[in-house]
Amino acid sequence: MRDALLTSAVGSYPKPDYLVRARNAYAQGKLDVQELRQLERKATEDWVRVQERVGLDVLVHGEQERGDMVAYFAGEPGGVVIEGMKLGGLVRSYGNRYYHKPIIAGKLRWPGPMTVDMWRFTQSLTDRPVKGMLTGPYTMVEWSFNEYYPTREEAVMDMALVIREEVKALVAAGCRYIQIDEPAIHTRPEEDFDMAVEAFRRVVEGIDCEFHTHICYGPIEKIYPEMLRLPVRQIHLAFKNTGFQYLKLLEEHPWPADKVLGVGVTDVHNHKVESVEEVVEGMKLVLRLLPPEQVWVLPDCGLKTRTPEEAEAKLRVMVEGVQRVKRELGLD
Amino acid sequence: MLTTVVGHYPKIPNRPRPARLRQAIARYERGEISRQELARIEDEVTVEVIQEQIEAGIDIISDGQIRWEDDQTYIARRLSGFDINGLVRYLDTNTYFRQPVVVGEVRHRETFLVQDWRFAQKHSPRPVKAIVTGPVTLARLSRDEHYHDHRRLVMALAEALAPEVKALAEAGAPVVQVNEPLILWHPEDLPLLREALQVMLAGVACETALYTWFGSIERVYPQLLELPVTTIGIDLVSQPRNWQVLGQHAFPADRKLGAGIVDGRNTRLESVEEIVASVRHLTRIVPPDRLYLNPSCGLEYLPREVAQDKLRRLAEGARAARQALGVEA
Repeated sequence: MRDALLTSAVGSYPKPDYLVRARNAYAQGKLDVQELRQLERKATEDWVRVQERVGLDVLVHGEQERGDMVAYFAGEPGGVVIEGMKLGGLVRSYGNRYYHKPIIAGKLRWPGPMTVDMWRFTQSLTDRPVKGMLTGPYTMVEWSFNEYYPTREEAVMDMALVIREEVKALVAAGCRYIQIDEPAIHTRPEEDFDMAVEAFRRVVEGIDCEFHTHICYGPIEKIYPEMLRLPVRQIHLAFKNTGFQYLKLLEEHPWPADKVLGVGVTDVHNHKVESVEEVVEGMKLVLRLLPPEQVWVLPDCGLKTRTPEEAEAKLRVMVEGVQRVKRELGLD
Repeated sequence: MLTTVVGHYPKIPNRPRPARLRQAIARYERGEISRQELARIEDEVTVEVIQEQIEAGIDIISDGQIRWEDDQTYIARRLSGFDINGLVRYLDTNTYFRQPVVVGEVRHRETFLVQDWRFAQKHSPRPVKAIVTGPVTLARLSRDEHYHDHRRLVMALAEALAPEVKALAEAGAPVVQVNEPLILWHPEDLPLLREALQVMLAGVACETALYTWFGSIERVYPQLLELPVTTIGIDLVSQPRNWQVLGQHAFPADRKLGAGIVDGRNTRLESVEEIVASVRHLTRIVPPDRLYLNPSCGLEYLPREVAQDKLRRLAEGARAARQALGVEA
């Protein structure tokens, strides 16, 4: 019963102002890499303390060193670049928001550890487990231009080998939980889903570690129950933002006993902080269908778009909600 | 055999050139500049992208849809009957648009596209096509909380857009292009689209086009050719199988093909030889004088400099193809 209703977070936390300024200064060559690293670590440590204070069971490092979950591996200032990738020019994603879309310009190869130092540093700060955080091969390719590979599939399969090497390096460093995000996996469900699952299998197969994945906003109904073929222990979905509508899918096709459901209970795109009651209410809907041992509780997505205060408040109501439900169920 | 574009063009260049529109929108949103000031920047950027298309050597250009936040809301905001809701992914891209919600009778208010077109044509020595998102695509990408009847919504949209199209034709637009990518996902809408276009394009004497992209034409071809427009635009890059489908049917003598042969979604530049090979293949299906060559879709999925390189390459490829085939532009 110890492992019922564990709490965690999805990945990113907001960056403090001093770090945003430092990243700009570094990009303009006005700050050296040592100083940037020091500030990234200071911000990471602050987030570890916040998570401990709030009482999360499994921590994340908060991605203070990353801008974007794909571009970080393709040449964002300060990151280690996957061989064959580079940053492209600005492309608009919506409204007035732009990002540097990466380009796959050559054969993809693992450049050596990309995320291990930061994971090791974060884990050294706390007794609680810290998740390793990676982006899955399908999303890495789908959110990049491809100038090298004749087909998307060939790019995705080579990317899987790159991510696999990083997974092995994290596990060798002692990492027990690794979350591999695939938010793009439902982009072309009919055409590409089997390929994406096969690539994921190539990333994790035969490696002894607990794997999680996070899939956000999009037509989840098009990949359920097929998504259950993903070789992971936990699949996390954004329940709050979609009004717990996904539960209908679970009513039609029951969630399997060998998988954990990660439930998003706070909306990361809304400034309003949910009440503890809202969190409890959401959890109870889920617990009608699943035993508490099969449920983890998290925010809907990375919290980086909130203010630091909002992010902490959203974690706090989540943990209070979980504690209340555990008391009611006699699990504490 | 003329070259053209499908529609949008990247709004901001990369360093060292300044991202003026991005900055202006941010300042406008913070209340630091007026709507007029923002409109002035939009005008200047429109002139810039007109010049870039002409420099690249394109025969029939667009205004780059610089003022459009996306293909849906720019129109929905200017008709009555719409609210604008949260972000939704646009088809299979990694771009998002705010979903229009139909909350009342959809009606035309006052013209807007015709002002945009006049401005662009005034600043372009080459013909500028006018672009409007079609009624089926608008209906399919909106949420209907008013009509609760797809057919009625599509017809209401067609009627609301008709005055705009009429004004464009009267103002002298050489081509009015209707964008209907969603018809590829909803072949059941074909008869309805036909009816809607008859209303929307009634009495329009200029050349008309209907463009599609991203999807397979398999379920709508050759019926697509029976729609009451002069030109049908087909993306031959995203779905290579579209080549085969196109080749399986005779192309009617009273229609033109807008052939999307340069990838508008990938930075890899096609070679001149690849373009010539595509054109050779095309001319076995459609004679050169009824062929437009264009990118597979709008160019906003690319960085600005790459978009212009793509157009330059398209124009070069078209020149080489004309020479190889011994045809005139």
